[in-house]
Amino acid sequence: MIDLDPGSGDIMQRASKATVVLQIFAVLLLVTLVILFIDISRKYSALQDGIRENALWSVYQLDREARRLHETLYVMIVEKDFSAARVKALSTRYDILYSRMSILDKASFDQKFRANATIGGLLTGIRQGVLDREEVFNALAAGRPVSPAVLEDVVRSFDLLIKDTEQLLLYSNTTVSTGRADARDEVLWLQAKSAGLVILLVCCMVFLVVTLRRQLKTVRLAGLSLERATSRLKDAYLDAEAGNRAKSQFMATMGHEIRTPLNAILGTAELLQLSPLPPTVASGVQTIRRSGESLLELINEILDFAKIEHGTLTIEERAVDVAAVVVATVDILRDRVTEHSNRFVLEMPSALPAAVIATDPTRLRQILLNLLSNAIKFTSEGVVTLRVIPAVLAGQPALRFEINDTGIGIDQTGLERLFRPFSQVDASISRNYGGTGLGLTICKQIVEAMNGTIGVESRKGEGSTFWFEIPAPAAGPALIDAQALARDTHESLPSLRILLVEDNAVNQQVAAGFLAHLGQTVVIASNGLEAVERAGAEPFDLILMDMQMPRLDGIEATRRIRGSDGPCSQTPIIAMTANASDDDRLSCQQAGMTGFQSKPVTMRQLRLVIAAVDLPEDTQAPTAAPVCADDAFELRRTEIVDALGAEAFDELLDSFFDDASSLLADLHVTLATEGSRDADRLLHTLKGAASSMGLQKVADHSENLRQGTLSKTLLNELEMTVAGYRRHIAA
Amino acid sequence: MTTRISLFALLLTAASTLLPFSARALEVPKGDVILTVTGRLDHPNADGKAQFDLPMLEALAGRSGEMETPWTEGRLTFSGPLLRSVLAAAGAHGTKVKLTALNDYSAELPMEDVTDLDTMLATRMNGAVMSVRDKGPLFLIYPFDEKPELMNEKYFSRSVWQIRDIEVTE
Repeated sequence: MIDLDPGSGDIMQRASKATVVLQIFAVLLLVTLVILFIDISRKYSALQDGIRENALWSVYQLDREARRLHETLYVMIVEKDFSAARVKALSTRYDILYSRMSILDKASFDQKFRANATIGGLLTGIRQGVLDREEVFNALAAGRPVSPAVLEDVVRSFDLLIKDTEQLLLYSNTTVSTGRADARDEVLWLQAKSAGLVILLVCCMVFLVVTLRRQLKTVRLAGLSLERATSRLKDAYLDAEAGNRAKSQFMATMGHEIRTPLNAILGTAELLQLSPLPPTVASGVQTIRRSGESLLELINEILDFAKIEHGTLTIEERAVDVAAVVVATVDILRDRVTEHSNRFVLEMPSALPAAVIATDPTRLRQILLNLLSNAIKFTSEGVVTLRVIPAVLAGQPALRFEINDTGIGIDQTGLERLFRPFSQVDASISRNYGGTGLGLTICKQIVEAMNGTIGVESRKGEGSTFWFEIPAPAAGPALIDAQALARDTHESLPSLRILLVEDNAVNQQVAAGFLAHLGQTVVIASNGLEAVERAGAEPFDLILMDMQMPRLDGIEATRRIRGSDGPCSQTPIIAMTANASDDDRLSCQQAGMTGFQSKPVTMRQLRLVIAAVDLPEDTQAPTAAPVCADDAFELRRTEIVDALGAEAFDELLDSFFDDASSLLADLHVTLATEGSRDADRLLHTLKGAASSMGLQKVADHSENLRQGTLSKTLLNELEMTVAGYRRHIAA
Repeated sequence: MTTRISLFALLLTAASTLLPFSARALEVPKGDVILTVTGRLDHPNADGKAQFDLPMLEALAGRSGEMETPWTEGRLTFSGPLLRSVLAAAGAHGTKVKLTALNDYSAELPMEDVTDLDTMLATRMNGAVMSVRDKGPLFLIYPFDEKPELMNEKYFSRSVWQIRDIEVTE
């Protein structure tokens, strides 16, 4: 099981908690900053509020002026000098004292100063003292005579006034000093508060840094544990993937292994049916054939599913005549319809929007076959209808196929399980009707790979309607032209009976496949003796003869056919060989061969050979231009896939590699026993088979070994080349 | 060429019209002397000094401004000659100006305060002549209304009232 480190969840939780704390502290920090700012600005505005007169200075001035007035008046009285200048000076002194008085009354001092009761009381007394004598000084200023007695009285009253102003001065000094000390204390306190706030701020910062560090560490840890989990997941995925691939590989191999003997069984059964048999045996053979066919169908389904699971399902695009495909598919099933006493109805508009569409004909046929077989299988004495309806899918032209039956139908739970691999509607289905339960899954996968949709509507006991829609774009002219050209060249070819003489199984299958694709009837002989036998028994239009074969080689076989009185004594014989020397050509001609064809044979060459059969003399087709090793494989592959299909190509490739390994094993044996003649033959076979598959390097290598002396090292090198190809192709 | 000569002539005329005292000697005060300027003077009118009575001062170029001060209550309008026009009338030269009050209080200010700021020797407060009892006869008023940044102790201490003498020194 894959899971994170046990501690990582904890770590994450702690980290998120730390984040919350961090946020709270950040807010606290902000508030602190605001408080600090407000404090500072308050302090600043206190400093700024400087439109104030210095109170102590004013009090001092008042006291000073009072004393000077007192002194001036006293000197006047003592010296008895009441001259106009003296009087004017005295009057000015009084005016100044008066102005100092009003400064103390009106000027803006510190609030605390005037609020002080003692100061207030003293000020009132002083003001009264000054104002009481205003009359006298007004008279003096106006030049009116004032008696010395009045002045003496003024001096006496000013004695008291001076005492008051002195008192005020002393008291003010004390008050202001106290106030200053208080203010200093206040400033100190403010400073302490600021310092406290700064400390708090620093704490916040430290905490912030610590938390951040911790969080970073946590994130790193979490990242590491995630990385570890990811790599473990990846490993697990790779393991699973490898397991799955091995399974798919196994299924493909098994399928191939089963199919080969099954084909033999089916072929034999078919041959048996052609011969006259007693009725009991005939029905037995029929059973063998039926069972074999359904077994083959099952295996094909499983292989398809394996392919889908492996992701190697490929959809090709060709110009397809939909109506033709539908009719052909329906024809295949006609027999089965009648077996179940069903009636079949095909509803297809006489003219579809696009008669030729670009799609995959093989896959379309496969889906139709599957859905129709199901419909027929689950219906008896009913009607199976196939409707082809033009539709629109995602704004593009499409086709809707509906397969409707009046069979047993499917209930709701069954519908839910449809399209799922290995599931049938219920267990009894497989008992009564058979099948792998993969058919619908495969259909769904194919339809989806074709960018279409598939679905079903059904009711238990009333029948079902399976439908699918696939995009049906009209085939482009390029696609149609290419195929039309190919068809034209086929069609212009004469249909011949051809005897293919070839000992190598792979080469046999490839050549036979090509010929069948070109519309020819092929009979295969695996060696010279067999060829001579066949050619003596029945007539052929053309014989394709391999040159190097065990038991009887091509030259000798040709001589015997030509020398016999058989039906093929005049039949054109074309040599197929990889040896392109002039000597070889000469010996071919001398043996009585009509033409000469270099190996590996291509479809184009075969077509030309067939087309030239009617022409007299030199039917030798132009040799294909040499191609570089890597291209050779791709070209060959395209050619074979075109003629026989991708699956056949894969099978051919498989059998080539099987053959190659047994050939190489034999070569090792001959090397040990020094049978050089055998070695040459084995290498020749390997070369032929390799070029047939387009594995040019293997072919070249084999040919080189034939020319020189065979050694263990060289043989190992050849083995490496084969293994290299195998790996390359498997990848 | 012609344009330049006529422009120069115009400037000369304007200068002589705008600065009448610089051209003439200072007249002798008729009323009570309220201000005496001493120092290096171009236009002394008494014994090397320049003496002014109230009409002489009020005839000089001045200004008027409404403002608050630390020594008065509420907004008041002060008016009187600019200190620089008083010094110009006396033809005084120097870098420092020392103001002395009736009670011998004195303050020294740099000539920049006179030339760069519209410092006035206020003769009237709210239109009325100021008595000695009410900071008269002359009160040095900085243009607190125009430049509030002057509102600080530095300029408060230079704001002398009951001015008696002005001494211009080098």
